[in-house]
Amino acid sequence: MSSPREKVEITVGYRSLGGQPDRLEKRTVDPEAGDAPPWDANTKMQHVGGDHSRVDGFAKATGRAKYTFDVTFPGMLQAMILRSPVARGKLTGLELDDARKMPGIGAVIALKEIGSQVRFVGDAVAAVAGSNLNLVRDALEKIRAAYDAESHIVDYLQSPDAPLLASDGEIDAEWPAEPEIEAALAAGKTSHAATYRTEVQTHSSLESHGHVARWDGNDLEVWASTQATFGVRGELSRALQARGLDVGSVTVHAEFVGGGFGSKFGAGVEGLACCLLAREADAPVKLMLDRFEEHTTTGNRPSALMQARAALDEKGVFTAWDWRSFGGCGFNKSGGRVAFPEYYVGKAKTRNKHQDIAADTDPARSMRAPGHPQGFFGAELFLDELAAKAGIDPLELRLRNDDTVIRRDQWQFGAAQFGWQQGRAIQNDPKARYWRGVGLASARWFQLGNAGRPPHGITCRIHQDGTVESRSGAQDIGTGLKTVLTLLTAEELGIEPKLVKATTGHTGDPSGPGSGGSTTTPSLAPAVRHAAFLAKQQLVELAAKHLGVPVGEVTCGNGTVGKGTAQLPWAEACKLIGPNPIEARGQRFNNYREPPFHRGVCGAQFAEVQVDSWTGLVKVTRMLGIQDCGRVIAKKLAESQVLGAMIQGVSYAVHEQRIMDHASGRMLNGDFLRYKIAGSVDLPELRCIMHSIDNGHDNVGAAGLGEPPSVAAPAAIANAVFHAIGVPVRHLPLTPDKVLAAIAKRKA
Amino acid sequence: MTAPHDPPDGPRRSGFSRRSFLKGSAAASVAGAGLVAATEPLAPRKPETYGPGEHEIKLRVNGQDRLVKVETRTTLLDALRDGLDLTGAKKICDRGSCGGCTVLVEGETVNSCLMLAMDAVGHDLQTVESLGENDPLIESFVHCDALQCGFCTPGMVMSSLACLNHRGQPTKTQMAHDLSGNLCRCGTYGRVMEAIERTAKSGKPAGKAGGR
Repeated sequence: MSSPREKVEITVGYRSLGGQPDRLEKRTVDPEAGDAPPWDANTKMQHVGGDHSRVDGFAKATGRAKYTFDVTFPGMLQAMILRSPVARGKLTGLELDDARKMPGIGAVIALKEIGSQVRFVGDAVAAVAGSNLNLVRDALEKIRAAYDAESHIVDYLQSPDAPLLASDGEIDAEWPAEPEIEAALAAGKTSHAATYRTEVQTHSSLESHGHVARWDGNDLEVWASTQATFGVRGELSRALQARGLDVGSVTVHAEFVGGGFGSKFGAGVEGLACCLLAREADAPVKLMLDRFEEHTTTGNRPSALMQARAALDEKGVFTAWDWRSFGGCGFNKSGGRVAFPEYYVGKAKTRNKHQDIAADTDPARSMRAPGHPQGFFGAELFLDELAAKAGIDPLELRLRNDDTVIRRDQWQFGAAQFGWQQGRAIQNDPKARYWRGVGLASARWFQLGNAGRPPHGITCRIHQDGTVESRSGAQDIGTGLKTVLTLLTAEELGIEPKLVKATTGHTGDPSGPGSGGSTTTPSLAPAVRHAAFLAKQQLVELAAKHLGVPVGEVTCGNGTVGKGTAQLPWAEACKLIGPNPIEARGQRFNNYREPPFHRGVCGAQFAEVQVDSWTGLVKVTRMLGIQDCGRVIAKKLAESQVLGAMIQGVSYAVHEQRIMDHASGRMLNGDFLRYKIAGSVDLPELRCIMHSIDNGHDNVGAAGLGEPPSVAAPAAIANAVFHAIGVPVRHLPLTPDKVLAAIAKRKA
Repeated sequence: MTAPHDPPDGPRRSGFSRRSFLKGSAAASVAGAGLVAATEPLAPRKPETYGPGEHEIKLRVNGQDRLVKVETRTTLLDALRDGLDLTGAKKICDRGSCGGCTVLVEGETVNSCLMLAMDAVGHDLQTVESLGENDPLIESFVHCDALQCGFCTPGMVMSSLACLNHRGQPTKTQMAHDLSGNLCRCGTYGRVMEAIERTAKSGKPAGKAGGR
């Protein structure tokens, strides 16, 4: 930090959502030397936060957008992977020659050595490339693989490491002794204990994992359906070199990506296989997984078993919170950790223990807000049960315990918008077929972006013809990075967004983060602004020289460059640029050293359900989400992400579960016929309200939005079902069998 | 005859539907009977032999006759994508359960992964590539942000187009019904319905403005 920093006073916080006071504060920050000056709550925006459309919407809607799945080359071969049919054992034989000899087959490679372990049904054994998939499928049948199968466990609850469950679903094991927690529990007036469960959810990205690989000598070009272009580049380069291949350059492209949700950070065995096949066949190769492979070999949100016990004092404030959880993981016994909303229990004595349990299935991977939908389901439903015992309204219980000012405002505003009081006043006729109920739940995330190591960058170019490029090597997985680049650049330069062309997803451009944990926008937005800010300075210098005025007095905005009455329209100013465009590389600096307004984001969601008491079918009829994400950059896109997360929440709450065949170890519903995800007929009446907050942590102040809106929905729905039927269903998904069993229990 | 999950307020569609196609192909033992039987007289046909291996067929796609090499087992989806480089229709499940590959055959939505390319010979096929940027439906999809990752979107557009063509001013229930074969993981359903509604209200005919 040798360069001098200039202190800047800014206004952070937010204006009232309605009903509560403005929460605005002055703050002094010291941006690093050379950074663009911070935007704050008083900055007037032309484009940022407005109703602009997605810049690649036309390309996507007309089918012109080329995803990895759509990339093709003359002479390109297609490829598939031979998968293990046994869940656990040893590969004892692998005969590839018959497949190799088939006409039209270009390459056959082994992906596992004879004698090595097979870890799950779907473990990759060999791969084949041929002129079309029908031929490749024929060739896979000619491969003879033999296995020594061992006994397996695909249900983590059958593992010797798992705790026993009593017939009522409760964990049947003593809590570890700890006098302090016992004392805190005893100090409460109302106490409660219960066990909760969730099932495995697959990411179900619609574009499956896959790659197209093309070698030119030792130079490799790869098209990847990925959330991390640079991650894939690094992984492939390392893996190919580890196999003794002489690798020159490796370039990765991911201009359009058909969803990822946390499953697409690496090249994986399928990416390596694609590159090896292309090398051996001396032809471009495309290897895209089919739907069964996508469900069974590319990770999942693991299942969870959770038990809570807690107590409230006479004021309805927590005195104790005791929590233990178990994650139902794949063979690598990792990734099953769950999170709970600890902001409710800040003053209580708390304990939190977690244990991952292995099963012979494919490993868990991060999935949209890892650990949160499952943990929040358990914790928020537990809260509602406790509230019922204590005779406190669920909203009131949260207001008494939630220590976050932002979310308290969101609770109160949301409750008024949703009609919470009216909803809770519903009296269901026990003889009626349909029962209604409402529920709520909270959300949080912690992502304000990071600088990266070395720092992320963005290229901004201003051309002689007045057009501008903003380029990032990071990927737009549908969250709208291209639109973010466009709007921020247009805002900084004071021009119309249509003059800006944003390009993402090519590793030839400056590096950016993998799109996980809601990092992409907050990590890149300040660099986008910085790049445009630096390019603008160069243009201002040209204009100042041309106009004969001091550089320091020239401004750039509203489509003109100049000083006072001496203004050049943008197009005229750009004509001063020579044949080489102005080019600037923006950098992502560290977040300011001063604390942000809030270290993360908050959200609150409300749900209304209708339960068919005859069939047990849960229909989510209405939902409201209040969500902040720091500064909102592209309003329509931000809303889409929140609405989409709510629908995913409906899907997780009422439909989704991986069903395993215990005998064969194979997923029984590895398709979209029997693995059900929410469709158009499941759609509730949805509403979301974006809550824009100036956090004052960098020159833009954006926070992550990918994960937070998917945290609360399943919990809010489970709470609404509890309200509707009067008994909690403590096991997701809320399928008719469980709902009917719960209703029967109440009647009994 | 009304299928149990048809919306009560919706008219039955004319011609063949995915449902009648499935019934037809299940009932018929003659190869390729499903669709051809719906439009051709039931006269005995000259026996023809194809395969093994590829042969050339003529498909009428977006008003143009296109020659493409297929095997007897090649699906219409693979013929469009791999043979004609029309990659708007997506391969997502390849089992008729997601709608990502939806194209219109004689104006009706069909999962092109469930139809053999040879069965599409002699029929008018419309793919998403026929819709240009000026098409009111495309314009509405973009305006309403009825897409995120965009992978399901071409299929959604084609089902939306059929919905508009058949119903004119569809209700929400009818839209939900007509989109029920199209899965979206990002969760764009609500905004797709808004796009359909906006197009219907515009009064401009969708699917007519020329794309490619």
